[in-house]
Amino acid sequence: MQGVWQTLNTAAWNIQGHSEERYPGLPARFSMPAGQGVVEGDEIPYQSWAAAQRDENYKNRHTADPEEKCYLPGVPRITYTQSPFQILQFHDRVVLLYEHLHAVREIYTDGSPHPDLPVEFWLGDSRGRWEGATLVVDVTQFTNQTWFDRAGNFHSDALHVIERYTRTGPDHMLYEAAIEDPKVFTRRWTISMPLYRRQEAEIRILENECYALAPEEAP
Amino acid sequence: MSRAIRLAVIAVAATATGRGQSPDPGTSPTCPSEPAPFHACAQDAAANFNAPKTKDGTPDLQGFWRGPAYATENIEEHPKTDDDDGGKSLIVDPAEGKIPYQAWASPLPSMHRLKYVDPNVPCFPSGVPRSLYVPTQIQILQNTEHVLILFERAHTYRVIPTTPGRHLGANVRLWMGDSRGRWEGNTLVVDVTNHTAKVWFDQAANFYSDAVHIIERFTLVDPNTLHYQVTINDSKVYTRPWTMAFPLRRNTERGFRLLEEACHEGERNTDPLIALGYNIYPGI
Repeated sequence: MQGVWQTLNTAAWNIQGHSEERYPGLPARFSMPAGQGVVEGDEIPYQSWAAAQRDENYKNRHTADPEEKCYLPGVPRITYTQSPFQILQFHDRVVLLYEHLHAVREIYTDGSPHPDLPVEFWLGDSRGRWEGATLVVDVTQFTNQTWFDRAGNFHSDALHVIERYTRTGPDHMLYEAAIEDPKVFTRRWTISMPLYRRQEAEIRILENECYALAPEEAP
Repeated sequence: MSRAIRLAVIAVAATATGRGQSPDPGTSPTCPSEPAPFHACAQDAAANFNAPKTKDGTPDLQGFWRGPAYATENIEEHPKTDDDDGGKSLIVDPAEGKIPYQAWASPLPSMHRLKYVDPNVPCFPSGVPRSLYVPTQIQILQNTEHVLILFERAHTYRVIPTTPGRHLGANVRLWMGDSRGRWEGNTLVVDVTNHTAKVWFDQAANFYSDAVHIIERFTLVDPNTLHYQVTINDSKVYTRPWTMAFPLRRNTERGFRLLEEACHEGERNTDPLIALGYNIYPGI
């Protein structure tokens, strides 16, 4: 799995199918393109209060989206920020290195359990295992501070994500993430998308330090 | 996540994250910690130490390490005060332990301290070499083609390819620079270019320009000590290349792991400083 990978879709804007739209506060040239969505069945099974919260989030997305403050985007959102990420494998772990905010995930594959501690992480705590050629990653201990996209889709601190990374060819991988959160949804639901290997011979992960650029915009 | 929890909870007994080697925590260091005597001692010690190897046959530098945290106050010798822990200079060449600034550059650090926020305050990446001595933990991982250094501070990382390859084009500038590594005997030599130069060496605002070229050397001198040497070459700013050296000591705490330091997400110090008239350092 080692190499530099990237998604090619509009999930960063909205994980569900959506029309083109101008994003509040941005020039028209940065408008959101239409997209077919990455949610299985294109339906997110919100509890009724949560559907109302999502609509409220959507209305206020320009200021309420944690991405506006350049915060760590959580899992699975970090996968489809539209920036590349590099996978490196070691004997006891797989390390995912994201260009976006130089975020890092260490996925322990040594059979160790999640830490039995009252600690929350923006990117959760990841424990992996191999099922044949698939890396299955159990991610827990999230904050309630992250969203799934720029359209207000959200979760609570009870979020539990089960990711599956499956090689489907020399330069392609299938990424699937099952989402559980009994505080927000009525049942488990799933997103999936291909990951594409960057083909440039000397491709490197660079930097995208969103928050380091923000102060220069201040008046 | 709150910093209090992050700092309080570092022993995660059940995680068993595995460092490969399990050195004896009781091993006493071969060399003293003060930079200049350490540097002299470490060169002999490294020659006499049979470094453990990875399955690829390269020296096994993996594990958790920590540099001299006081140096993030000032890499030159500085006294203990109400604000500072104080300590000896990291600079071993020139022997007087001072940065050999050109005349135009030597007044700038004291001016910049009054004008700019230390780039570490807003959680910007600490750059090279400051990342090695900011007061947090670092972790080294190795596989056949890479050395990966993970820094707990603001969750930065450096991917150091140890296969032949070219540096990035000169127009690409990175906070952490572009690293290419190679093994020279038991020493990992890392060539670092393409710096933004928006970072400082320390809170004293010591600096380099975007012309800087940095060469690092990592050598094991005993099971729990790395001899870290870094040579700074910047003909725009200094009269000659100069070198720092210090020990990276291994953290042998059982079950230790790096935790996520969501630095920017909890950072509340920069805005008040901007309100007082300080600016973000633009680099030179």
